[in-house]
Amino acid sequence: MAYHQGYGGQGSKHRGRGPLVPPAPDPHQLFDDTSAGFPHAQGTPASGIDMGFNTLLADPMANVAVAYGSSIASQSKDIVHKEIHRFMSVNRLKYFFAVDTAYVTKKLALLLFPYAHQNWEVRYSRDTPLTPRQDINAPDLYIPSMAFITYILLAGIALGLQQRFSPEVLGMCASTAFVWVIIEVLALLLSLYLVTVQSDLTPFDLLAYSGYKYVGMILAVLGGLLFGSDGYYVALAWTSCALMYFLVSVRPNMDTYSNL
Amino acid sequence: MAFTLYSLLQAALLFVNAIAVLHEERFLRNVGWGTDQGIGGFGEEPGIKAQLMNLIRSVRTVMRGKMKRRV
Repeated sequence: MAYHQGYGGQGSKHRGRGPLVPPAPDPHQLFDDTSAGFPHAQGTPASGIDMGFNTLLADPMANVAVAYGSSIASQSKDIVHKEIHRFMSVNRLKYFFAVDTAYVTKKLALLLFPYAHQNWEVRYSRDTPLTPRQDINAPDLYIPSMAFITYILLAGIALGLQQRFSPEVLGMCASTAFVWVIIEVLALLLSLYLVTVQSDLTPFDLLAYSGYKYVGMILAVLGGLLFGSDGYYVALAWTSCALMYFLVSVRPNMDTYSNL
Repeated sequence: MAFTLYSLLQAALLFVNAIAVLHEERFLRNVGWGTDQGIGGFGEEPGIKAQLMNLIRSVRTVMRGKMKRRV
């Protein structure tokens, strides 16, 4: 075949670190360079030319443009991934969202009636906590985020029933609630730092446990909408006591949490 | 109480600035919160006051480092 000759081999090596423009629009040469793999992480935009689908485009300038664009895209994707990975670990976040329907229903029942539950420990499997799918005592971020959004929508409905609704109010309510969540997590982190308790609580755990109160708030607002102010106060009292019992029972889980 | 994210950012910035401007010699020594007054020994439990003093000092060091780099 043509690429076993010296010219073909030299051409591919030359293109591996050479300039942007390929020496000749020869489909065989362009095709066999893909076996070396395209070096997308070398930091120079001139190296990612050799793609498999170059054989489809006869125009060399279109080749160059496509290859340049795709190498730029993959480089910026790497940069974005690196920056995000500096702030939060995506694996840890995935652990919190590994839920299923049975877990969600049981956890909601537990949040509203925790008095009958006996065993509150998070089970481990070889030094890592079990995912929420397998252990009902594990914290998750699915219920808090869904409850947060539901609460904001419900607040919008309540305002609308009182003729006080406008679309900006929804955005303002969402921002305010989000800010309160952030303030609460920061206050918790500060108090944990000041008291020098040796716990491996990540901010995501704190976010999960402080987001569980939105379930109670939803029920309180619903009670207020359906049954008037008496229903609101009864629902508020019930959910507050349930949440207090829940958080007190779950607190021993936070002591010897092994860091993922 | 309508907070926005921007107001949270403003509040955080002002708070950090307030911690950074607490002068060590003129003010904290008189109150008894200077950093050389609190650290007893290398015992186990530092206590809340020592942690707070450490926090104030580290905030000041970090802000000073960042500001100095700009100048």
